[in-house]
Amino acid sequence: MTVSSPPIDRSVLVADVARAGAFVAPYWPLTSFVAVNPLGGLVEHSFSEAAALAARWFGARTHLALEDYRREYDRGTIGRAELDRAISRHLPWVADALAIDVGRVSVDVIDLVRWDLLHGPVTDAKVTPDAPLADALDAVLTTWCATFVDDAHVPWAMPGRSLGLYRSWRALAAGDRRLAALVGADGRGRIATLPDDPVEMLDLALRSRRVSEADRVAAIRTLLLRTPGWAGFARWCDDWAPADREGVRLRMVDLAAVRAALDHLAPAHLELVPVDAPAESITARVDAAVAAFALATPSGVDRGAIEAVLGNVTSADRSAIWLSAHEWALRDRLLTRLDGPAGAGHASPQARADAQLVFCIDVRSEGFRRHLEGLGNYETFGFAGFFGVPVRWRQLGSETSQARCPVLVSPRHEVAEVAVDDAAAYLSTCSATAGLHDAFYAAKGGIASPFALAESAGWFAGPVAAVRTLVPGRAATSATEPKWWRRFTSAPRTAPVVDETAAHERHVGLSLEERTLFAEAIVTTIGMYEFAPLVVLCGHGSRTTNNPHASSLDCGACGGAPGGASARIAVAILNDSEVRAGLAERGIEIPADTWFVAAEHDTTADVVTIFDREVIPTAARALVDALQLDLDVAGERNAHDRARRLPGNPDRVRDRGHDWAQVRPEWGLAGNGAFIIGPRSITADHDLEGRAFLHSYVAERDPDGVALETIMTAPLVVAQWISAQYYFSTVDPEVFGAGDKMLHNPVGGVGVVVGQSGDLAVGLPMQSVMLGDQRAHDPLRLLAIVQAPLERIEGIILRNSGLRQLVEGEWIHVVARETEHDAWTLRTPSGGWEPWHPADPDPDPATPLLTPLEIS
Amino acid sequence: MTTWTNLTAMAKIEVVVDGDDVPAVRDLFLDAGATGYTAVSGVSGFGHHGHHQGKLLFNDRASLSMLITVVPIDRAEALIAGIRRFLDGCHGVLFVSETHVSRPDYFG
Repeated sequence: MTVSSPPIDRSVLVADVARAGAFVAPYWPLTSFVAVNPLGGLVEHSFSEAAALAARWFGARTHLALEDYRREYDRGTIGRAELDRAISRHLPWVADALAIDVGRVSVDVIDLVRWDLLHGPVTDAKVTPDAPLADALDAVLTTWCATFVDDAHVPWAMPGRSLGLYRSWRALAAGDRRLAALVGADGRGRIATLPDDPVEMLDLALRSRRVSEADRVAAIRTLLLRTPGWAGFARWCDDWAPADREGVRLRMVDLAAVRAALDHLAPAHLELVPVDAPAESITARVDAAVAAFALATPSGVDRGAIEAVLGNVTSADRSAIWLSAHEWALRDRLLTRLDGPAGAGHASPQARADAQLVFCIDVRSEGFRRHLEGLGNYETFGFAGFFGVPVRWRQLGSETSQARCPVLVSPRHEVAEVAVDDAAAYLSTCSATAGLHDAFYAAKGGIASPFALAESAGWFAGPVAAVRTLVPGRAATSATEPKWWRRFTSAPRTAPVVDETAAHERHVGLSLEERTLFAEAIVTTIGMYEFAPLVVLCGHGSRTTNNPHASSLDCGACGGAPGGASARIAVAILNDSEVRAGLAERGIEIPADTWFVAAEHDTTADVVTIFDREVIPTAARALVDALQLDLDVAGERNAHDRARRLPGNPDRVRDRGHDWAQVRPEWGLAGNGAFIIGPRSITADHDLEGRAFLHSYVAERDPDGVALETIMTAPLVVAQWISAQYYFSTVDPEVFGAGDKMLHNPVGGVGVVVGQSGDLAVGLPMQSVMLGDQRAHDPLRLLAIVQAPLERIEGIILRNSGLRQLVEGEWIHVVARETEHDAWTLRTPSGGWEPWHPADPDPDPATPLLTPLEIS
Repeated sequence: MTTWTNLTAMAKIEVVVDGDDVPAVRDLFLDAGATGYTAVSGVSGFGHHGHHQGKLLFNDRASLSMLITVVPIDRAEALIAGIRRFLDGCHGVLFVSETHVSRPDYFG
């Protein structure tokens, strides 16, 4: 085959599409929901610069509205001391500014700025541009996108999908009546003349609009950001999707080409290159200040002086100051609490703990760990919930595998689950159930078949629906199943095959060297060098019903899947005698009487299930039984705590996951605000109210800093994505969040749209961060609290550019101290460290960390 | 210049970019007609932007990667133009050199 040389312009245009697409945050399909920073494409800019760009490009709000911050001030969440500190740090010139003469008295500039923040007119109202034709064309595009990607329940696939969105759309677009109505007969007639190639289509559209080469990236970005949800999914397909993923790929170049084609056909065109916003008017704020101070003083006010001050405090400055004040409030409370006396007086483990439990760093583990530690001689640790073993997991009976690790890692190994018992009956039931499931949804999605389906399956589906609605807890329990049925549905005993020599398949299992390396990483990263007779690796997941966003409640470190499989894999490695011998050669002695056990915490029901009990040695069974009782009690207590922040019957809080009408099965990671890296001793006995990710780390055990570097370049980065997703989903639920869950419709097997159609709704549903008009999440940037030598932390920041961007761009804040005897110090964005002092010199350590919710 | 007997002259293009930018460079290679490429992840070193850490345990995206492809010389110019354009918007370096291959049919 002869391939002609590509023209230079084409390659340059393809590069422009890649550059434009880099500004779009990837959107993972809902089957493996991954929290991302929606402004992740802008992290090379500082947070404030990125916020300004997002406001301009997305038309988005990037901070709470001024009224919301003021409400927090009124309720005491933000104090005057924090506000004044934020003013003085954000506007250092205020300290040196001369007081303003207002007649016989003068007003300090900080008083004027504070007054403006607290009482000045609101000038940051969000404005949505009115562009009906462009919006209608966006709607045409989103409908085609949904049709193109739908490989879930569609009875007829879109013809020509393998050619890509642009080519398949071009072949069918002339039949689109809605498009014809928008572009007229002339536009419709020109569809056939459009180039066949998406790059050529883009080139044509941009040339016909006379977009200069310098403006092309901006123009393509404008096209993509008309539908940021689908653009995010296209970014995922281009840059993150597994190479072996089945199904069609929505590519950014195709998406941009179709939107460019729609614009090209339309009688009126988009403004492809954004123009600068007009300068902000401060007249209303100056008028209000003049009036306020004129009332407060007997003589005239120097309007010019007030104008000079407020002219240097833009709307963006006001938002930034409020955000900073809000962050100071949490930082001061949290550090004061960590420095303060212990709380509930939980017993510290005796010389050798009865059991050690390693939980995920997820904020939902904090409360559970605290309750459990208070019940016995237990020691708990925090580690990313994939337990340091990045693999693909192939479940029993499945032919495909899924990555069970953070998306930052590309797993190179697969681990398969195999049956220990005879699994024939179970597997045939699974196969039949899957067949019925497919047949049911194929019938449901057809044109005439739903009528037949209602007739044929209604007798069964009707009563099931009634039970699910009236007694949701009962519908979910296997205790209601007849014994004969359980014979077919009970899963057989299984085991993960971690040893490649036992797997008998290529690329399945791990070598002894790899297993030993992962085992070493697990224990050294969290500083575990003494071992209890029982060590439990406890992953987490969430069982919910009728919830398209279910995987958002699962383990982010496991790629949006439950963490039980990862725990079982890690346990199989750590119980392996050959691995232990290898560890001993590396100086890590695991006692012969130590047994590792896998478990999973259902965060909606607060139930911990211990796996593979049948292989637990007799000597450890009594410990396991005693631990299970304490896990049950800890679950009850944790659920009791959670019930205080959830509406509805507090006695049924553990059943919410079974209720298919429940839009808020749990709060997930709402409230997350800090990431603490250090030994448990600095956080034990303190109720952190579920606000902190807790990663165990013992600096003395990590002299070369390898473990800290691993923590700061992977779990901390993932936590920042989660934090940013919660932040932006809260400040602008319409743009960065998934909107109202009540209106969601799943689309294409990849996401949801709000209502009948529209752009893919990214981010978290409103019900994940809001309770009515109350916020369940305080939108703050993540605070990393590290106990380690400052030089070690600084070195890691400086040699990892991505981390450095996060720190110096103020996407996260870092506070550190070398030991428990040292004072906390703050990493400044410009480099260097400064001592931390609370803004309020006499803070009350009992002040809640989490803003209370009023539950009716 | 050394003359190589029975070998075909081609252009070798090496690009060092952030892990996040690897897919875009890969797509540029393929769109320009490259029939394959080699990727080396976890590249460490020191350069215009200071130190670059090599392989990280649980983050394949944060370190640098090197992508290498070989294309017929007549196809190289367009690809180079595309990569230069891409590098206008991000960190990274591009090396171009002449190389000689024994199986030219492998490279388009």
